[in-house]
Amino acid sequence: MKKLFLPILLIVVFSNSILAQQTEPQKERQNGHYNISKFRQLKEELPTPNKQHTASGAPGYEYTQQQVDYKMDIILDDENKKILGEETITYHNNSKDNLEYLWVQLDQNVRAPDSKSKDIRSGGPDVLYSPSKFTKSFMGKPFLGGFNIEHIKDASNKDLAHTINGTMMRIDLEEPLASGATFVFNIKWWYNINDYTAQRGRSGYEPFEDGNNLYIIAQFYPRLAVYNNVEGWQNMQFWGSSEFALEFGDFEVNITTPKDHILNGTGTIKNPKEVFTNKQYKRYKEAQTAFDKPVYIVTPEEGLEAEKNRSKETKTWKFYAKNVRDFAFASSRKLIWDAMAVKLNDKIVMANSLYPNEGRPLWESLSTEAVANTLKVYSKHTFDYPYPQATSINAKQQGMEYPMICFNYGRPDKNGKYSERQKKGLIGVVTHEVGHNFFPMIVNSDERQWTWMDEGLNSFVQILAEYEFSPEYFPMDKKAKNITGYMSGDQSRLAPIMSQGDNVFNFGANAYAKPAAGLFILRQTIMGPELFDHAFKTYAKRWKFKHPTPADFFRTMEDASAMDLDWFWRGWFYTTGNNDIGIKDVKKYYVTDKPTARVKKMAKRYGVSIDQFPPALYLVSEDSEEFTKSLKDKKPEDYDLLSDYIENNFNSEEKSQLKSPKYFYELIFEKPGDLVMPIIVEFEYEDGTKERKQYPAQIWRKNDKQVTKVFPSHKPIKKITVDPDEQTADVDTSNNSWPKNKETKFDKFKRNQIKG
Amino acid sequence: MKLRKYLLILFIIPLTAFSVHKYYISLCEIEHNEKQNSVQITLGMFIDDIELTLNKNHKTKLNIATVDEYSAIDQYFEEYLNKHFIITINNKLKAYEYIGKEYEDDIVRFYLEIPNIEHIQSISVKNTSLIKFFEDQQNIIKIKANQKHKTFYLNKQNDKGLLNFKN
Repeated sequence: MKKLFLPILLIVVFSNSILAQQTEPQKERQNGHYNISKFRQLKEELPTPNKQHTASGAPGYEYTQQQVDYKMDIILDDENKKILGEETITYHNNSKDNLEYLWVQLDQNVRAPDSKSKDIRSGGPDVLYSPSKFTKSFMGKPFLGGFNIEHIKDASNKDLAHTINGTMMRIDLEEPLASGATFVFNIKWWYNINDYTAQRGRSGYEPFEDGNNLYIIAQFYPRLAVYNNVEGWQNMQFWGSSEFALEFGDFEVNITTPKDHILNGTGTIKNPKEVFTNKQYKRYKEAQTAFDKPVYIVTPEEGLEAEKNRSKETKTWKFYAKNVRDFAFASSRKLIWDAMAVKLNDKIVMANSLYPNEGRPLWESLSTEAVANTLKVYSKHTFDYPYPQATSINAKQQGMEYPMICFNYGRPDKNGKYSERQKKGLIGVVTHEVGHNFFPMIVNSDERQWTWMDEGLNSFVQILAEYEFSPEYFPMDKKAKNITGYMSGDQSRLAPIMSQGDNVFNFGANAYAKPAAGLFILRQTIMGPELFDHAFKTYAKRWKFKHPTPADFFRTMEDASAMDLDWFWRGWFYTTGNNDIGIKDVKKYYVTDKPTARVKKMAKRYGVSIDQFPPALYLVSEDSEEFTKSLKDKKPEDYDLLSDYIENNFNSEEKSQLKSPKYFYELIFEKPGDLVMPIIVEFEYEDGTKERKQYPAQIWRKNDKQVTKVFPSHKPIKKITVDPDEQTADVDTSNNSWPKNKETKFDKFKRNQIKG
Repeated sequence: MKLRKYLLILFIIPLTAFSVHKYYISLCEIEHNEKQNSVQITLGMFIDDIELTLNKNHKTKLNIATVDEYSAIDQYFEEYLNKHFIITINNKLKAYEYIGKEYEDDIVRFYLEIPNIEHIQSISVKNTSLIKFFEDQQNIIKIKANQKHKTFYLNKQNDKGLLNFKN
């Protein structure tokens, strides 16, 4: 007996795979294939690691990036709605390469009369045309937008050769700029500020009924494009959709406005005494210790008073911002300003909100509180906010971010009334835009190429921040479920997240919501918050003030957690597949000591007699021919074979710890969907109790369509539900229940309507 | 359920980080329930958008989905849908029953039903909802019938979708 045991044991161990090979004569020739496993590593998709971007996802020892400093003098001409500016740019070539030319971004040119942005849009007539729109669209009276460049000179005041291609300008250098060298040049320009409420834009002015304008000024200066070893020069045209790639540097910006304007922008005001009234300056200082709740720096009464006048005099605001990638500001005589101080470990950050009286009472304290909460929660998940302040400006129809300042929509109606929905909307947009300080203002990814790296990551942390602000307003329980509508849409309208933004339909869901939902699932369900938070923080800290790429993110998340996530990145980010896992069948098994037909078949195959097998126990399915009713009443311990074994091999302490299952279930899970996901199973027993089990995604490694598990239980199961809390973005839950749930949502609603 | 997931993310997210791309979308799911011989329709849209439309059309304030909501609001909804959401089955214009509506966050979902439909040879859907005041409005129609799925993306220029089944 014993002699045969080992060989038979080996046969038993390998039998599943061996018996599964049913060879039949092949009629047609099969073609070979590449590695199509969904678990194959992303080696072919990700760029080869190098000394600037390592295999672990960190900046390498030869990582370099350029630095660009700006000294600017700007005039905001309120009467003529113009910006006039002059800047001295200091470009530090920290790369190992010699540069023959520099590329400068001219974003305002997207609004120039000869801009091709309109030409590439497709569409029929609009529903209605205002006179301004009509003349612009058909009568050849376009808005005279775009940069008017007066001069570009080098440090010795010589004109520099340059070529403009749409929104990009090439500065041709007389001599290549050597590695390690610095180039200084000066540009003078002006442009007409656009009314962004009439013609969409991220910046411009909003005209008010009282004749005043609220200016939100951004992308207002010719600024350098990024040069790195991933894209070379990131000089893809600005078509208006995909956003920005920018270098870090120090800014000194002087802005001259009418004397009665209130202004805030990126950085710190160096001359507050000169630009505020005495009262305002006093409040400005006091706000810096206002930790409990926001206080006014410019009061509503002062705003109302200022609105009535049109000062002909001017004042100059002097700003300094260190290590930022861009500069923006907002200015108007209508602006009210409230602020509070936020403590982040050993640092104090100012949270500011500026809004016209039309924004009250919705904006009061709600905006600044939302700014403060965002700084705290985002800092918790990444790094302490390194800048001195964060500002939220109320601007109609806007939701846009720049370093330390963002423009956000949200106004009550004429009677000052607003709904809960508007409140939630305001908290949401402020959280999102202030959150952008972290992604991409500091973790400075290339938005022109990868919209999702800042929008997706930001939208994800936004979920956590909003929940902390108010769990009632912003519950987290449906975040995975909410994306299934988009993901189950028509495939011809879907693009993978890893697509360049300008070419994608349904851009918003693709770059914002889907990556956010994916990261949410990764945190809550696949990695768990502890492993995820640590890895995410590692990524943020590694790439703080640097330029990360998608590969750096993907690699860091694995590197810091010991979780192989390539299957997840591949499915969620590189394909448009969706998840659908169901429970196909459940079979009940009972224990017997009589050899089953299956084992007899195996014995025959190996040419041994069944008597040569050692005594064993077998599981027989309820619907098989070998099942007899008497098996139902037997417990496994009723068989001497087992009870003798237990008696002889376990001491009394071990015996008392043994479980005693009576019911054996074969669970067959199916996966009609493309994505790989863990299987979360909830078992409901006949006695009403419930239990959960999560099978890791690797269960799908050998078979992508169907897996089977044997589940022993000491209580009979009444109901099995796959993914009961809808955490895996399952697009079809009709196959998630056993026994199958027949009632549709429609029937349920109808039934409830009739009842009540 | 699917509508809310679909619309909620599209609403909250794209508004932010750039003003130029707020999405205006409605989602309609039409399913032929062969057991009950009826066509079951759910149609969901953003409360803000239908409220603006109805307020302007009727020169009033309906305060939809608030404690001050106009009491006979369902009448307005039903009237609006009958005008803008038109279904033709097997070449016959079909009236539907307005079973009710529910609010979930920022979305209102209407439940409509057409009884006595045994077999669908063809189905055509015209949806001009919200287009009057939102020129970028896209009305998505998902049809499930005869074991087939088809999605239409309707808008101002193309407001009708037709699906023929070959028997």
